[in-house]
Order: sequence, then structure tokens, then C-alpha cells
Amino acid sequence: MADWTSYYRNEDEEEEQEDGEQSAGEERLTGRDSLVFLVDASKEMFIKGEDGAPSNFDMTMQVVRTVYTSKIISSHRDLIALVFYGTEHSKNPNDTFKHVYVYHDLDEPGAKRVQDVDALRGEKGAKLAAETLGCGPSSLGDALWCCANLYSDIKLRLSHKRLMIFTCREQPHGGDNVKDRQARTKASDLKETGVVIDLIHLMKPGGFDVSLFFRDIVSPPEDESELGLQLEPCEKLDDLQKRVRAKEQKKRATARINLCLGDGLNVAVGLYATAVTARKPPPVKLYRESNEAVRSKTRTFHTQTGSLLLPSEIKKAQTYGKKQIEMEKDEVDFIKKFDDPGLVLMGFKPMEKLKLHHHIKPSVFLYPEEGEIKGSACLFSALLKKCSEKNVYALCRCIARRNNPPRFVALVPQNEEVDDAKVQINPPGFNVIYLPYADDVRTLDLPRCTSASQEQVDKMKDIVTKLRFKYNDAFENPVIQKHYRNLEALALDMMAPEEVEDLIMPKVEQIDRRLGSLVDEFKNLVYPANYNPESKPAAKRKTADSGGGAEKKPKVEVSMDQIKVHVQNGTLGKLTVPVLKEACKQFGVRTTGTKKQELIDALMDQLSS
Amino acid sequence: MAKSALILCMDVGFNMSNSGPGEESPFDQAKRVIQKFVQRQVFAETKDELALVLFGTDSTKNPLDNDDQYQNITVHRNLMVPDFKLLEEIENQIHPESQQADCIFDIALNVCVLVENTTIHKLDRRNIVLLTDLNSPVSSDNLDVIIENLKQADITLQFFLPFPAEEGDGEAPGDQDRRGPGHPGTGKGLSEEQKEGLDMVKHIMLTLDEEEGLEQIYTFSAIEQLCMFKRIERRPMAWPCQLTIGSALSIRIVGYKAVTEEKLKKSWKTVDAQTNQKDDVKRETVYCLDDDNETEVQKEDIIQGFRYGSDIVPFSKVDQEQMKYTHDGKCFAVLGFTKQSSVQRHRFMGTQVIKIFPGKDDEHAAVALSALIQALHELQMVAIVRYAYDRRSNPQVGAAFPCIKQDHECLMYVQLPFMEDLRHFTFPSLENNSKFTPSDEQLSAVDSLIDSMMLVEEDEDGKQKDIFKVHDIPNPAFQRLFQCLHHRAVNPGTPLPAMESWLKATLECPEVIRERCQSALGEIKNKFTLTQVEKKKKLKTSAQIFGKDSDEPEAKKAKEDEADEEFNLADIAEGSVTSVGSVDPARDFRTLIRQKTLTFEEVCKQLTHRIEQLLGNKSTDYYMKSITCVEAFREQSVKLGNADLYNSYLQLLKSSIPTQGLESFWELLVQDGVTLISEDEVEGSTVTRNEARQFLVTERIEEAAAHPAEDPGDVDDLVRIVLL
Repeated sequence: MADWTSYYRNEDEEEEQEDGEQSAGEERLTGRDSLVFLVDASKEMFIKGEDGAPSNFDMTMQVVRTVYTSKIISSHRDLIALVFYGTEHSKNPNDTFKHVYVYHDLDEPGAKRVQDVDALRGEKGAKLAAETLGCGPSSLGDALWCCANLYSDIKLRLSHKRLMIFTCREQPHGGDNVKDRQARTKASDLKETGVVIDLIHLMKPGGFDVSLFFRDIVSPPEDESELGLQLEPCEKLDDLQKRVRAKEQKKRATARINLCLGDGLNVAVGLYATAVTARKPPPVKLYRESNEAVRSKTRTFHTQTGSLLLPSEIKKAQTYGKKQIEMEKDEVDFIKKFDDPGLVLMGFKPMEKLKLHHHIKPSVFLYPEEGEIKGSACLFSALLKKCSEKNVYALCRCIARRNNPPRFVALVPQNEEVDDAKVQINPPGFNVIYLPYADDVRTLDLPRCTSASQEQVDKMKDIVTKLRFKYNDAFENPVIQKHYRNLEALALDMMAPEEVEDLIMPKVEQIDRRLGSLVDEFKNLVYPANYNPESKPAAKRKTADSGGGAEKKPKVEVSMDQIKVHVQNGTLGKLTVPVLKEACKQFGVRTTGTKKQELIDALMDQLSS
Repeated sequence: MAKSALILCMDVGFNMSNSGPGEESPFDQAKRVIQKFVQRQVFAETKDELALVLFGTDSTKNPLDNDDQYQNITVHRNLMVPDFKLLEEIENQIHPESQQADCIFDIALNVCVLVENTTIHKLDRRNIVLLTDLNSPVSSDNLDVIIENLKQADITLQFFLPFPAEEGDGEAPGDQDRRGPGHPGTGKGLSEEQKEGLDMVKHIMLTLDEEEGLEQIYTFSAIEQLCMFKRIERRPMAWPCQLTIGSALSIRIVGYKAVTEEKLKKSWKTVDAQTNQKDDVKRETVYCLDDDNETEVQKEDIIQGFRYGSDIVPFSKVDQEQMKYTHDGKCFAVLGFTKQSSVQRHRFMGTQVIKIFPGKDDEHAAVALSALIQALHELQMVAIVRYAYDRRSNPQVGAAFPCIKQDHECLMYVQLPFMEDLRHFTFPSLENNSKFTPSDEQLSAVDSLIDSMMLVEEDEDGKQKDIFKVHDIPNPAFQRLFQCLHHRAVNPGTPLPAMESWLKATLECPEVIRERCQSALGEIKNKFTLTQVEKKKKLKTSAQIFGKDSDEPEAKKAKEDEADEEFNLADIAEGSVTSVGSVDPARDFRTLIRQKTLTFEEVCKQLTHRIEQLLGNKSTDYYMKSITCVEAFREQSVKLGNADLYNSYLQLLKSSIPTQGLESFWELLVQDGVTLISEDEVEGSTVTRNEARQFLVTERIEEAAAHPAEDPGDVDDLVRIVLL
């Protein structure tokens, strides 16, 4: 089992914690991201769609809630604010601005805020909104000014500032030129301080004409295209979710390196992690009395003298062949260093040479960095186009960070793809696929296989066809969702956590119904009458279960002499973990480890000296 | 457990030291082969046992010693797992000796068989390797008996000879020229004994294995193959389970990890530099409240909690365990089937590929699974499955692809992302931007580069040949680590060696390709303009400023950063700080600078005063504190864009090392990489990045390598950003 345990991650495992902090750490290095939702609260926003479809306001609140909860999970340190304009009542610092209601000022989202937003949803929400907000005349200029103040009140360093305007009114001031001009001035002030302003325009009868007013308000798109403005207004919640999601996550390169085509010819590229395994966050340690977070300090000191050890008083060591080999700390780094970070082109290979099973970790995305080397985007674009045309991938040697050993990667071209609503599905660039070394590919003893007949295969094809579905969207992770539901319940003093639907459970009943008699027909074709695929291993597992339990621990007996012989010959590895544990007890070796190697090391240390 | 035993049987007789002028003697070659081989075994940490038998020794030490016949044979080491002691012995104790063992095969093999029997373990493979130049007289009297013995004991035999077996055949004088200098030891031709010996070797090998026997005769130059350290081999563990489709259909399967990023079992341990003892070093973690006194908290008084956004929710382990997601355990259940094309390669998650085979010795399961595999293959579909390794592990969703090879069929399972894992980044289009659109000329230049750099070619027979197979390359990180560990173990006290040339070569673009692409590369250089953008000063984070290693634990970095922010939050609470105190001078310093009630110069003066006081104590604790002060000094100077005070103070400090005996403090500064502020960080500074680094490297005190800048630079810009 030892081999598989590396796959199964214990919840308290250190590794996991490190990973968790790593991604958080990256974000911390450059400051906080921030996002302001500026939502129109005019009457038009509350008009329900046909057939009782939710109002624009309702949809917006739904999206805001999703962003809140997803931020809590993925990047809880981001700051979010929710501001309404065109309200009757006003609430903002010093109440300088009329008809602007700061519902949430810029802060990390928490349980309370999610509840607040929830309160604004649905029928009840509309009522509550009417009471607390009310509808009044709107001045976008004041609203933007107020948002600018929100930003400047933040003492933290902000790395990315985004403001999203949700509205279904193409002319918020009804053609009032003074107010229009004031809004434009405030917008350009905001943009100057680095705020990106997006318009999420919602459906209104007769279409939404961006050019009437909002064109001068929003930030120009990153590329030259007019893409940002040609977008159709959002009508469906799904579209709205997608569009907000695409904007709300700030893309940040995990590394900026050069792609060397050879001979000093460098293209600057950025590596982006587009899929990172989300885990439960590591727990925070709290002081029992006050529930305040405590800090941990780790010190290294000498066991005998008790004095703190300087880095120079410590060495690193590994034991091989019964010999402990020591290195200085910087020598350990020296061994790891092969070259400076970068991608080096080895050559090209046809796409079919990229084996499906050559997979060792999630891929990352490669996009040119025009800001580092001018001209990168052009050469990158040419490379992308040609690789895609010729159906080849580029093989590169990759060192992503300092003192990382090299890995070989396949750069697989990906052309840009947009959906019907012109939202980008796949960005243009290369996917970087990590390739295994010889050590990473295991030799398996292939069992002798019996092939199925065509009749059997055809029957299975019927089954497969019956159970077809479209796999477009990933599923929610029930483990993480459950964890956050639990936290939510505790944070909000709810009686019981909200139920989480386990979406990755097979819908057995539906499957059975769809398949009907096909299953029996197939079984008759492949299984003999008395064959039960579940019997044998099940029986076996039962004995294994009970056998492994506490009631019947196998008596472990290996004499001290035998252990000594094993130590001498370096053959301790042959013994099982229980035997080793027993041996540790016999020799009075104290160990904290439970892994086999740790037990062996402990015994070796004690007995070979 | 599968285990094998191997006996290295080396001829050390006087004949082995004969060599032509300038040639390595057969003895030295044989010794190198043995060394390399043992090294590989040691680092591969196999449980295979190994014995070393020398023949032609001056003394005699073997189990058959009592008999007159078995003279000059020494069993240097009985079968056991090889270790560094053996390597050292080979290095230092094995020398050419002056005797000659008679009838080597007869004797050597008999001894070997006996040695084999000394081990108490069950062996499933036995192997004897003989290294000799065949110059000892041989007798073929008992050959048949020996062969019979070997066959019965199922022992395989390998020979390492100084000359190739095949070409030795010809005996024609011309042969020698053809061999050239590449095969040392052949220069003087084969002696009568050698010819006779070779014939016998061949006879033995062919009798043992008619077809491939001769392939087991190697020359000493086979050492090239041994250079590489063995690749890590893990015994695949079977994962028996049932593939289920709905409630009624299940197929017995067994899964094996087929591809996964292999890590070394061992990691670096921390030992005391003087005693090299692990036990002398202890690491301790203490917890303290985040208050001014850093009040320590006992471990028992700590409970765990989780962040829910800005809230921290106390959530005990017991509660967590009770409320957490639970499931039924082990499963491989089909959720449905979908088109292969809808599962994108770059969406693969996890760190492994699992191959799914039918349950062991279950023909019916094999047929059922085969039907599924073929059906998926024909329909170009995949199964989307829920996979859980066991009850304790988290379930995941993945795709099972059909895989049909000539000799086997299986499903290949790869994990797919959950919604929470995906980050939807939008990137500007490359095509809609006229600045980025390449011209036709540029495109054709790239086109010819690709053509000239194709790593897969068709040979005359139309067969594809891949000249750069990544999955044949051993992980260079392991190779390099083993090389260095071995070097350190055998040559203690010497600096680590450079990377081995063969390893370097495997990581480079193949020579053929490099030559072939030259002109295409030149063309690209002509057609595209690439200019490095001169960077404007970026505001750097503390981690970057300090030039900390990127491999430093991330947690530490994060903490530093946290510390940074905490001052902002604790802003108001610290309103009462009026001077740099001695409890936490760095913190006071930062606070004062932000308060701006005193001038920067004044605050710096207070700080340096405290540092001097702290250094006066000459103990590690105070040194640590001083370093945090210096770091704070540096950080704030960079923030304010004023490098002068800091740089001149550091230089002053450096010059006072010898007089004040601060060598070990300086060492700490060097280790923490606290350098001068370079012009990279603050525009006004005239210190280059190199000079800043150099400043720490040189041990001797020199004239200040850097001159404090006159012009404070673009202060306004930086200040504004800081205050935002």
C-alpha cells in the first residue's frame, strides 16, 4: 500500500499546507486585488422579464453572491465592494453624495456579507431593496467619485483595481449633458489611477446602445479590437455569470521567462496557471481563550547547549549505502541548479507523437510578454500560427524558477475560440504539457487479455450510446463545498449546514432506467450463468478488513539477533512495518515516524553506530 | 519479494596488470566497471544482494580452502546488500596481485555456487559476473559438470572481457588494425591462453543459452552504459476494484499507476555542522499572540479554526471530522460517456495516469472490459467516472480513455478539473492586433525553422524515427544528486564536481538539429525585431528586495509579507510610539517613519543607535534582532527611495567588523542576502546590482565599492505609490 499512499493525501499533511500557502503567497507578493460592483438601482432594473424571468437586479445579485462565495474559496484576501446608484436613500462616508448607497465598502468578503446579498435576492429582496435603497435620480459621476474615495481610503497596497457597472439603462442621465460630462471626467480620473472600468450591460427592450454614453466611460479593451463593446447585452444568468467570471479573475503570470529559439534569439513569455487543484485551506491556529490567531515561530537550536544555531552551524545530510553524506546548504542548492530559468527550444514533433498517457502534472498556459521584449507577440503569434497549421508541437526544456531542475515540456498550440456571445472560451497561446522522464514511467506486467467478439462490442456500444452526455462544464467538488457549507453554518450560527448535492455521484436510477434490458443482454453475452463479478473480491475484502483491525493483530516476532543481522546487511527494508515498530520498541529506539523509511532510519542510526 | 543475488568475480592476477604503453590496464578497467556497477546498486537502494570474489590473490580465503585445489581465491565479501563500505574497499583495498588462479572457471564457479548458498534468503534470480582477461590457464575437464550445475541452480552467467568476443574469432592479423585503439587490450593480440579461454567461454555461454548466450559477453567498454545511475523502479501496486455502470453492471478491474512524477524516497536531513549528528539539532515551534510582548501560548491552549473570507471560524478537529464529507469508499463508477474531443488534453489534472486492466485471472471480466474498451474506441468516446481510491481519500472525476495496443488493451484514467480548480483568464486576441500580426515573409521564416528542427524523421524504409525521446532520458536531477553524493562520500573535503558531460549533452538540442537550423534561425533574426524593454523602476516587495532565494519556503515569504501588512492594520493602535525602543526596534522604526512626526534622518539615527547597542552584546539572539533592524532599515529606505543613509551605514558597519569582532554577525547578513541598495531598486543609488552583491561576497574590507548617491531620485513617485 505504501506506493499508493502518496496519492492519498492526508488532511493534515504538511505538503498540502505548503501548496495552499504557495498560491496564496504568490498573490500576496504584489498586493491585493480589488473589485467594486457598481449596480444601477433604478426602477428599470427591477422590471421582471417575460414569463416571470428574474429581473436584472435579481440576476445581478445572484452573480454578486457567486463572486462573493467563490472569492471566499479561491482568494479570500481580495477586496470587494458593493455600491448602488440611482437610489433614493444615500449612505456613504460623510454622506457627501446623494443617491449613492454604499452597501458594502471595500473589504474581504465574509459570511455576513454573503447573507446581506442573499437578502436582496428574489421577491423579498426586491421589497427590501425598495425599503432600504429606493429609487431616485441617478448621477453616475457622483457614484464614480464615491467609488474613487473607497479606493483611496484603503491603506493596503492594491495591485489590481476593477470596477464593474451593472445597468440596463444606456443613458443614465436621460441626456443631461452636464451630468454626462461630469461622469466622463470622474471616469477618466479613475482610469488614470489604474482602475479598470467594465460595463456589464443588461438586457433592455430595444437593445442596449453602448455608443450613446458608456463608450467613453469604460476602459478600452487590452487589444485593438472593439470586442468589448460589440458584446450583446446579457440576457441569461449563465451568460452574465460567464462574463463576470471572465473579468473578475485577474490573470497573473506565475513566471516571466524567455523562450529561447536558439542562438540568443529570445521571446519573452509569461506562464499562467489556468487550473490549480483547489484544496481545503490549511487551518489557522487560534488561542483557546480569545479565539485570536496565534503566530508560530520556529527555531533551530543545539540539543546539548540549547543555543540557537546559525545557518552556518547546520549542514544537510542524506544516508545512502549505510553512509551519511553531508553537504552545505548552498551546495544543496548548487546541485539543484542546472541553468537559469527559461524555456529552450529543442525542436518540433508532429502532434500524434504527444502521448495521451504522458501526463505528470496539470499544464500551464503560455502567452507573450510584449512588455519585456518588444516584438515577442509578433514572433509568438507567427510560431503559434505555423505550429497549428503544420500540426506540430514544440519540444522545450523548461526551468520555471531559480534552482529548479529542468523538465521537458510540449508547447501545444491553441487557437483563440469565442462562443456565440463573443466571450472567449479558449485564449490564443500555447498549452505547456509536462513530459515524463524515464523514471516517471513505470513498467507494468501486462496481463494476458482476452478480446471481446464483435457481437459483445456492439452490445456495449448500445450501452455507451444510451449514456451519452455533453461534458462541457466541470463539476463542483463536493469535499470543498461541504467544508465551506460547514464553515458558513458555523460562521452564521445556522442550525445545520446547507445540504451539498454530490454532483459526482452516478445517477444510478436514471442510468438503470435508460439502459433497461441492455444490461442483462450484455451480461448474458459476456458472463456465464453462475458468474458474479462482485462475489470474489468482496469476500476477500471482508477478511482483509477484519484482519487488519485491532482484534487480530498478527503477532510479530523477530529476534534481536535477526534484527542486528538485518542492520548489518542493510536489509531492514525486507521487514514489514509492524515488525519494524516492534523492533524499535525492543531496542528502545524512540521514533515519531510511522513511515517505513523513518523506522528504518531510526533503527539504523541506533544500531549501526 | 522479488530479489536477486549477484556475484562479481574479478580476476586480479598479475596478468591483469599487463597493458600496452598508454593504455589502461585490464585491471583498472575491470575495477572501474565494478565501481560503477556497485554505485548504481547503492543509489538505487535495491534489496538485491551482491558478493565480491577475487581470484589470483596472494592469500587465500574461501569456504573450500581446506582443499589444496582452491588456492589464491579470496571471498572479499559475502552476499549482502552493497553499501559505501564496499565501495571504499574497492577503491582502497583491491590491487593487482601477483598470483594466478588455475583453472579459473572450475574453481571460481564452484566457489560462487557455494557463496550463493551462504545466504539465507530465497532468491528468484542468481547471476554471476566474471571479469577477466582470460590469460589464466583454463582446464576444460569439468566444464560439463559446471554447466550442469549452473543449469540446475538456474544461475545465469555474464562475462566482461577486455576485447570483443565476436571479432576475436577471426584471428586474422588484419583484424587488429580494424579494431583500432578503441578497444584497449587488443593491441598486442590475443595470447594462446586467451584464445583457448575465449573458445571455452563461448562454449559455456552457448550451452547455457543457445540463442542469446553470446549477448551476455561484454567488453569493459560497456562502462558507458553503466554511467547512468539506475532509474527508479517502483513495483506497481495493484488496485482491485469494480467498474460499475449503473447498479446492475459491474466488471472486475485492477488499476496500476502507469505514469507519475517519481520523487526520491529520501530527503535532506538537518545535522550539526561540527558533529554531523542529526540528534544535536532540534527544531522547535512556539506559538505566540500577535501582541507587543509576543506572549507565548502553550500548545494545549491552541485550537484550530478556518478562514471563511474575512471571518475566522473556530472549528475543532473533532467537529470537522464529524461534519466532513464522507463517502462509501473505493469506487470506479461511470457517470456517463462523452466524446473524446470534449475532454481537452490541457485540462488533465492530478499527477498520474492509471491503467485499468481486467481483474486478475478473470477471463469473463477480461471479455467484458474488452467490449467496453473497443466500443469506446470505435465510437471515439470516453467514460467519465467517479474515482475514489479508498474511504479516506477524496473522490475525483476523471476520464477513462480506451487504449488498444498490439499486445494489450486497457483503459487509461486521468483526473479532470473540478469547477473550483479552473481559472478563466481572458487574453487579448493576437489576431485582431495589427501590431502583432506577422507578415507572410515572417511566417515563411518560421515555417522553415520548424521544418529544419523536426525531431521526428522518416528513414529510407518510411519508418518514423524520433531522435529525442524524453521518456528515455533519466531524470537529470536524480543523476546529478547521486553524482554529487557519491563524490562527497568517496572524496570528502573536495568541492563538488561539474555536471557529467553525457548528462549535459542529453539536455541540449541534438547537434544535427542545431546545425541544420542555423540558416533558418538567421532568417528569423533578420525578419523579426526583438528589443529588450528597459524597465522602469518597479516597486519591489520585500522578498525581491532582499534577493531571497526563490526556493525558500513559501510560508516564510508569506509571513514576511504578512508582517508588512500588519503595520497598516495596527496603525492606530501604535499611535503612542515616539522613539525607537529596544523591545522591537524594527517595528518602532517602521511606525515612526509612517507617522512622519520625526524626519527620516532622525528616525534612522535612532535605529542605528539601537543596532549598535544590540551588537555590543555579541550574542546570536541580539544579532538576529539587529538583522531585522537592518532589514527594516533597508526596506523603508527603498520604499522612500532614499538609499544614501542606508548604504553609507552598511559600509560603515562593514568597516567596523575587524575592530568590533563582528565577523559572525556579518556572516548572518551575508546569508540573509542583505545587500546594499542598488540602482535597480532606488533610482538615486549609484550601486549596481552586481556591486551590491559583490559587497557581501568579498571578505576583506575594501574601499567602498559603491558611492552613496547625491540625488535622492524620483522620490515623489515612489512615495505616492506607497501611500496608496
